[in-house]
Amino acid sequence: MDLLPTPEQEEIISSAAAFLADALPPQRTRELIDEPSNVDPKAWLAAADLGWFALGLRSDLGGVGCGLADEVLLFREIGRSLAGGPFLATTLAARVAAFGGDAQLGHEIGAGRQVGFGVLGPGGTLDPGGIAGTVHMVDGHDADLVLVATHKRAGLFAPADLGDLVALECIDPTARLARATTTGAAPLVAVGADVDPVGLRGTVLVAAQLTGIAEATAALSAEHAKNRIQFGRPIGVNQAVKHPCADMAVRAELAWAQVAVGALATDEARADAELQGLSAFVVAADAAERNAAATVQVLGGMGFTFEHDANLYVKRAFLLTQLLGSVRLALSRLVLLPGPL
Amino acid sequence: MELAFSAEDNAFRDEVRTWLVEHAPLERRPRRGVAMREFDLNWQRLQFEAGWAGIAWPVEYGGRGLPLTQQLIWYEEYAKLGMKAIDTRFVGLSHAGPTLIARASPEQQADHLPHILRGDVVWCQGFSEPEAGSDLASLRTRAELDGDELVVTGQKIWTSYAHLADWQELLVRTDPGLPKHKGITWVICDMRSPGIDVRPIHTMDNGEDFCEVFYDEVRIPLANVVGGINNGWSVAMSTLSFERGTAFTIDQVQLSSTVERLIDLARDRSLLGDDEIAHSLARARADVAALRALTYLGISRNLRSPEPGPEGSMLKLQWADLNKRIMRLAVEILGATSLAYNEEGEDIWSELFLLSYGISIGGGTSEIQRNIIAERVLGLPR
Repeated sequence: MDLLPTPEQEEIISSAAAFLADALPPQRTRELIDEPSNVDPKAWLAAADLGWFALGLRSDLGGVGCGLADEVLLFREIGRSLAGGPFLATTLAARVAAFGGDAQLGHEIGAGRQVGFGVLGPGGTLDPGGIAGTVHMVDGHDADLVLVATHKRAGLFAPADLGDLVALECIDPTARLARATTTGAAPLVAVGADVDPVGLRGTVLVAAQLTGIAEATAALSAEHAKNRIQFGRPIGVNQAVKHPCADMAVRAELAWAQVAVGALATDEARADAELQGLSAFVVAADAAERNAAATVQVLGGMGFTFEHDANLYVKRAFLLTQLLGSVRLALSRLVLLPGPL
Repeated sequence: MELAFSAEDNAFRDEVRTWLVEHAPLERRPRRGVAMREFDLNWQRLQFEAGWAGIAWPVEYGGRGLPLTQQLIWYEEYAKLGMKAIDTRFVGLSHAGPTLIARASPEQQADHLPHILRGDVVWCQGFSEPEAGSDLASLRTRAELDGDELVVTGQKIWTSYAHLADWQELLVRTDPGLPKHKGITWVICDMRSPGIDVRPIHTMDNGEDFCEVFYDEVRIPLANVVGGINNGWSVAMSTLSFERGTAFTIDQVQLSSTVERLIDLARDRSLLGDDEIAHSLARARADVAALRALTYLGISRNLRSPEPGPEGSMLKLQWADLNKRIMRLAVEILGATSLAYNEEGEDIWSELFLLSYGISIGGGTSEIQRNIIAERVLGLPR
């Protein structure tokens, strides 16, 4: 038992952080808001070259051969950086293709072929025959593939098969959104959770991204509390500011600890992997949403402006909690699972 | 990163589990008085004789000298028994003992550590005073030097088990002329000394473990001073950071078992169809999982650097809040059943519910924990 990163894992963290700071800093993410696609093609291909989209895929399936515990380190940095683009859908899609038997497609996705995230609306179904219902497609503006995943199975679809895609403005301006309604579309390739738990892995990776947001916003608030002077003193001397900063740090720390356990439980195929993964999502969603909200408050008027990044964290946190089913649905499943080991 | 324990750790866990199941006293622990003290000490003696006392204590002090992971495993298996985690042995084993190991002279260590491990003695803590609670350093209990003795006069409060204790870790003011953190001394006080008067305090959970202690010219040999005269603040801080580090692990692990029992209770009563209860239970499940994960993270850090990290105060704060929320949920699930205060029966949820109000106060209030996290971890101004 050791929840601290190994030297190799420290290297994943520092190289991911350095790459994101250089290629996709918040300033670049903001420039992309006004472009048709939110993907910077050069940075995207560079990320593919670094092996990001196949990091957790077994090497005999064409991947880098690392674990989910390594992938969460990367996605935590993506969350912290605010970088936009279909990182999660593309990463999960590479697995669906590889485990679903389409090695060539898996290879193409790993090499940077973009995949959008299909969010199944209320009442929508994903069964072995295909998908039915309303699908919100997040990101993947240029993509000709969309991933839909539940805790039972995951499939890749052609957006054209889902019916007319209507472009919408997304609550998160750094993301892209379109909507379609289908009465039935068959997957190009699909995989059940018994073969590979794509939905559970996605839930843990979402939790990792949310943790990055929780950590980034906690740090922004603490920095502001130290430096903003009112009544002749830093506002952080006041417990009404100081204690929310402490609570933010605690929530971020708890979220990271549970994300690490959730990822490792999956890697080690523990019987309670689903319980640990869903717990990571519940705790990290709470940490990200509350820390981002508290940061807007601690920053006062500046926190409410579009110019400050606090609002982008609020919006991204909300978007992430919707990708694989709401916290409410996670709670409904979590209470019915067998207990922890 | 790795979640699995080593083969050696797993073998240790099997050994612990087998022994605990065979030997743990499962009869109901007496709730008060000498009978409670004897129950706790007999249990400690049993552990000592079987070689389970002081698992992570260094070998030279009579411990097993095993790594913190194995201490954690002991706690985890212990927690499954459902026995009370903080009993009359707590201050000796988790407070005074580690402080003596860190700061006492070889003679003091030889005089006291074996008795703590063997279950011969009960220790209590004399820190808080009526005018020195969160602001502990403003304590006023006075100790005057007279020959080779300290003469102590003053009052301590919130001292658990003082009426049953043999020894006390006592903070006294030896030099009122120095700045408040400088003039304090940490001393070993014999609770049977003439001039000590112990009065129990009745608490909201119907407990009588809390006491006030009055000192009227109590004479304590200078040989009982630990860490030097006027150096008591730094000695006390080594105790408190320990308290905020690993000392509450059993309770944290037990909270996980509590949530599982509550889920079973709710299922038996067909309450899982109630979304509000089901979701509250699910959230509790996630939160205790994260609390345990943070305990693991803290131990992982501890294995690389022995200094207790920031997670100590974080664990204490989160545990207190979560405990309160979960016990409130428990009495909600029980409904009118929890109106009956059944302290001798199997279900002690009502008692635990009332006890939860004290957890965010004892060992440093939640507000003080937030100050510590903000100032020492985040670097916010005081």
